[in-house]
Amino acid sequence: MINISINGRLVQAEEGEFLLTVMKRNGFKAPALCHHEAVEPYGGCRLCMVEISKPQWKGWKDLVVSCLYPVSADLEVQTDSEAVIQERKTVLHLLLARNPHTKEIKDLAAEYGIVRSKYQEVAEPDDCILCAICTRICDAMGFSAISLVNRGHGREVAPPLNEPPPDCTGCLACALNCPTNYIKYTDNGMTREIWGKTFEMLRDPQTGMPTITRVFAEYLTKHREIPEEYFGLGDESHRKRTARNFGKIAAWTREETVREEA
Amino acid sequence: MNMRFEVTPNLCIGCRTCELACSFTHTIEGKQARSRIYPLDGGLKDLWVPVVCLQCDDPACVKSCLVDAIKFNVDTGAYEIDDEVCVRCMACVAACPFGCSLFDSHQNRVVKCDLCGGDPACAKFCPTQALTYKSALSHAG
Repeated sequence: MINISINGRLVQAEEGEFLLTVMKRNGFKAPALCHHEAVEPYGGCRLCMVEISKPQWKGWKDLVVSCLYPVSADLEVQTDSEAVIQERKTVLHLLLARNPHTKEIKDLAAEYGIVRSKYQEVAEPDDCILCAICTRICDAMGFSAISLVNRGHGREVAPPLNEPPPDCTGCLACALNCPTNYIKYTDNGMTREIWGKTFEMLRDPQTGMPTITRVFAEYLTKHREIPEEYFGLGDESHRKRTARNFGKIAAWTREETVREEA
Repeated sequence: MNMRFEVTPNLCIGCRTCELACSFTHTIEGKQARSRIYPLDGGLKDLWVPVVCLQCDDPACVKSCLVDAIKFNVDTGAYEIDDEVCVRCMACVAACPFGCSLFDSHQNRVVKCDLCGGDPACAKFCPTQALTYKSALSHAG
């Protein structure tokens, strides 16, 4: 355990822990768009920038992205100093030039008093900020169905060769964790479509509620050893069946048989 | 882990106090949570079965989680979902054979019984002792 100071307050941390983790645990806030606890820190959005110093640095200071900075003893952190705010504003101007119509970016920029980017807006803006949360989560789950492709202006998230990705299981983790809701999908309860691929949904035979895609269930059966029959029912029917099973056990001591389900 | 959560369906009268207690205990920012316990009809006369996470030895939810968001809490004996890590892929909701991993659409998160961090509210409010939380050692004797 080491001691570091954040905005003048002394907090404890493990040596080598990332600074953003320590800040979050102690209630200090920094905006972050590319951060997700399920995957390794990425340092992509540059918004969690903070100012650091140490007594032995004789007044020298440094600006670092807190999500990737391992803490060490005697660190002094300022999360909202003048320099930090300036740096964040620059980043937000750049983000706003790339995504001028994205609600999440506009809201965040407004918090820092920015309405319009001072840089030239891109010709055909979309909502993607290239934070790679989608591709990193997809990698972490073991699918690697999508990735960042091309360089420079042409960089984008796409499945291989822009064709429906063979490794996608339609779990929707990419779309549901996108900080700007860029990834679109449709789901009508019977089928789900994402990345140009259509999936059949598994549905509860009694309630008709969709659960997960058939491909995803098959993946879990094959790689995670979940028995196939577990996916035959939805959660509500599973609970009802559990109650009936207990009823059957209780029926051994009673002169009664378990009623058929309504 | 020397405490154990016990469900005794024979004592349950189906009053659903546990559901209320659960829902109010897990309130976030004024939004009530989906209850993680369900007193259901056991199919016999006057038999109610409070269906709640059994904290299995080899849980399907943990096996199905591809990002290891569900961790065992050694102090309470509960499997807990880390909401920051969860990617909402619904694998555990579909995989649990007891239907005790749930999606809370109001709070937009996947929830399951976490034994309230070692002090289950449902057991405190149960009027008939159908739900109890007591030392596993005292039970053995």
